[in-house]
Amino acid sequence: MSTTLPAPAALAAGFRAILGPDRVLDGAVERDLYSRDGLVTDGDCALVLLPETAAEVSGCLREAARLGLAVVPRGSGTGLTGAAVPLEGGVVVSLARMRRIGEVDVANGCVWVEPGVLNLDVSAAVAHLGLHYAPDPSSQAACSIGGNVGTNAGGPHCLAAGVTVQHVLGMEIVLPDGEVLVLGGPAPDPPGYDLRGVVVGAEGTVGVVTRVCLRLSPLPPAVRTVLLDFATTAEAGSTVGGIIAAGVVPAAIEMMDTGMIVAVEAFTHAGLPTDAAAVVLVEVDGSPAQVEAQMAVVERVAREQGVRQVRVARDEAERALLWKARKSAFGAVARIRPNSYLHDCVVPRTRLVEVLHEIQRIGREHDLLIVNVFHAGDGNLHPLIAYDRRDPEEVARVLAAGDAIVELCLSVGGVLSGEHGIGIEKRDAMALAFSPTDLAAQACVRAAFDPAGRMNPGKVLPAGSRCGEAALAGREVHVPDGAWI
Amino acid sequence: MDLTPRSPDAVAAALARASRDGLTVDPRGGGTKSRRGLPGSAGTVLSTAGLTRVVDHAPGDMTLTVEAGLPVAEVAALTARDGQWWPQAEERPGATVGGVLAAAASARGRLRHGPVRDSLLEVVLATGDGRLVKGGGRTVKGVAGYDLPRLVCGSLGTLGVIVQVTLKLWPRPAESGWYCAEATAAEAAALAARVMAETYRPASVVLTPQALWVALEGAAADVAPPAGMAASEAPPGLAGAGIVECGVPPARLADLVAGLAADGRDYEAWAGVGTCLVAVATAGDVAAVRERALALDGHAQVVDGPPGLRADPFGPPPPGLAIMRRLKRAFDPAGVMSPGRFVGDVQEVAA
Repeated sequence: MSTTLPAPAALAAGFRAILGPDRVLDGAVERDLYSRDGLVTDGDCALVLLPETAAEVSGCLREAARLGLAVVPRGSGTGLTGAAVPLEGGVVVSLARMRRIGEVDVANGCVWVEPGVLNLDVSAAVAHLGLHYAPDPSSQAACSIGGNVGTNAGGPHCLAAGVTVQHVLGMEIVLPDGEVLVLGGPAPDPPGYDLRGVVVGAEGTVGVVTRVCLRLSPLPPAVRTVLLDFATTAEAGSTVGGIIAAGVVPAAIEMMDTGMIVAVEAFTHAGLPTDAAAVVLVEVDGSPAQVEAQMAVVERVAREQGVRQVRVARDEAERALLWKARKSAFGAVARIRPNSYLHDCVVPRTRLVEVLHEIQRIGREHDLLIVNVFHAGDGNLHPLIAYDRRDPEEVARVLAAGDAIVELCLSVGGVLSGEHGIGIEKRDAMALAFSPTDLAAQACVRAAFDPAGRMNPGKVLPAGSRCGEAALAGREVHVPDGAWI
Repeated sequence: MDLTPRSPDAVAAALARASRDGLTVDPRGGGTKSRRGLPGSAGTVLSTAGLTRVVDHAPGDMTLTVEAGLPVAEVAALTARDGQWWPQAEERPGATVGGVLAAAASARGRLRHGPVRDSLLEVVLATGDGRLVKGGGRTVKGVAGYDLPRLVCGSLGTLGVIVQVTLKLWPRPAESGWYCAEATAAEAAALAARVMAETYRPASVVLTPQALWVALEGAAADVAPPAGMAASEAPPGLAGAGIVECGVPPARLADLVAGLAADGRDYEAWAGVGTCLVAVATAGDVAAVRERALALDGHAQVVDGPPGLRADPFGPPPPGLAIMRRLKRAFDPAGVMSPGRFVGDVQEVAA
């Protein structure tokens, strides 16, 4: 497809006038590097743009509009669905140089940050004020706030605290035509439709977010973390359900199966029981009285389910070690096979155990090693397939197993993604979860922001999802005097 | 002519007919939020009273799927059996699930539980032109596709009729209680700041002209009167000919309250949230309250009142109006849904 486009060097002139010579990359190596993210699929990048201000982003989007180029916003490139992969020879707008953290607004419990700021750096910047930014994806040391907004990122602590959209009060966004808007902010419930809520999770298909107002939460006065060791997956699953049924929503409930425990223990030496069928990591936080009460419930339920060992983290160092074990799970698997394919889907919590067994069956059927580490409390599964990318036959089996996992999750009443998003990876599977009418409505939402369809094309919605012609190109509707809408 | 369809399909069919015939439609749940928007704009009332099925109740998954006409009070009774609740929803007598969501009416416990938007997992919307569109997903977590639930929440029936929803439920707290201290406006603001600093995640901190009210939830040991406060009932609802709802950054709420107190107004202000309900009697009151809110980087809308108070119910239009109009046109191409519900600057329309 790039053969129909002018050579990148010729495209670059207008962008160089905005960004200067050094922040427009057109070399083959750079274009190749920016044509991929955490998904296996590569794209085709015409140019890489490195703006440092919203005004520069706006200028770049105007120039892209003039040239009729697709625009792909990019954070840290840690996404797993191909949402940052440029298709159709678009320009990649990297926000990595926009990393300023504004003055912390303690009185309003928020802070404005630029999209290139890394997730973990926000909490680090506000910890001395007794605050933190709640969403904590496992990649939080590398992933950016802009990317988090694009994917509506989650993390272990989203069980009680909620995902990214619940922590984004507002944003500055550059629309595809270069217009800069500020949507939302610290004042609650601004009039009109909740456009802020639509931008979060839109995977860069509605504009380029250039500043984000993040809600900061108080650090809990007390925290306790416990590792529960089970001889069977069923007991572990029943414990998760039992804790919730007893009226406790912990800050986090994470589960690892035996394959993952072995991989992680070899990597982190955190003292995990490698003979366990499953471990469950539970964290409760809040007031000291609440932590006491909730931990009593957790322990009681676990013992009723036949837990082999209850390991309560004695201090902050041990707690950090347990979390390190959890969050380095994906790195640990790299010791088993050179590549891994990480899936993400959500099932009703009550179906967890049967779904885990089915996933193991899918692994056997496709002759693949599938290990699991996931957010058990909200039913958000992360089956991880270890494989070798150099073996095309094995890659084919990996993709087939992935499709089977998606179908499995949907068949028990689950959804396509809990926190990674759709991107390219699950674009076509959207048709399994939504009717053509549903998808057309989603296409209308996208088109309302980007009528020309140049923002990150080919993502989220399957080919052929169109907002009906009548809907957007239709006649002007009579608006009553004094009405907006 | 009023309509009371008995199923989502019947709602869609009624809207398809209305769009074809150019008849305007005013969706109605319990009618507790119907005195808003431009006066005289109401069309045929489409009641959701015939949509009261419980579609799927899964306490173990903490989700509830119901039709939109089910009263909020019935959701409360149903979920209480399993020790659960829907804490984000404002619960007025007669209010329906769909009405609360269409109006984005959050409960006083918003400080702890967040806005009602956060509780809507999946929505089925009968669009203005009679399509049934589903968005979101039924699990407690999910990011598949564009967030139609958030778009629909607070859309006041201007995109279509909410016919079915899936809600995220939560365990009821072990204990909860309200506490009150009589105080002047200035004293209440100071006391509120102290309670907010000393209490981890209170459910509500509410300022009224003569008192401070605090709601606490959680373990028994955490539900005890803050210093200087005594156990009480919940604060009474605000009464007035009309109600203006202001939203200001939480840090500016004390300034707003000081101004309202100086003007001698009755109000209910939610500390830490930034929402402030103000009783008004005249169009001049609306303008004066709005002026104060706008000066504090906020906004003010008339959310209840007779026609005389609703000549300019929304104030200046928000950013992104062109996008909002395209959304409106996409979901309601014939423009029959609740015309005049979202109103504002005439000049913007001309532009």
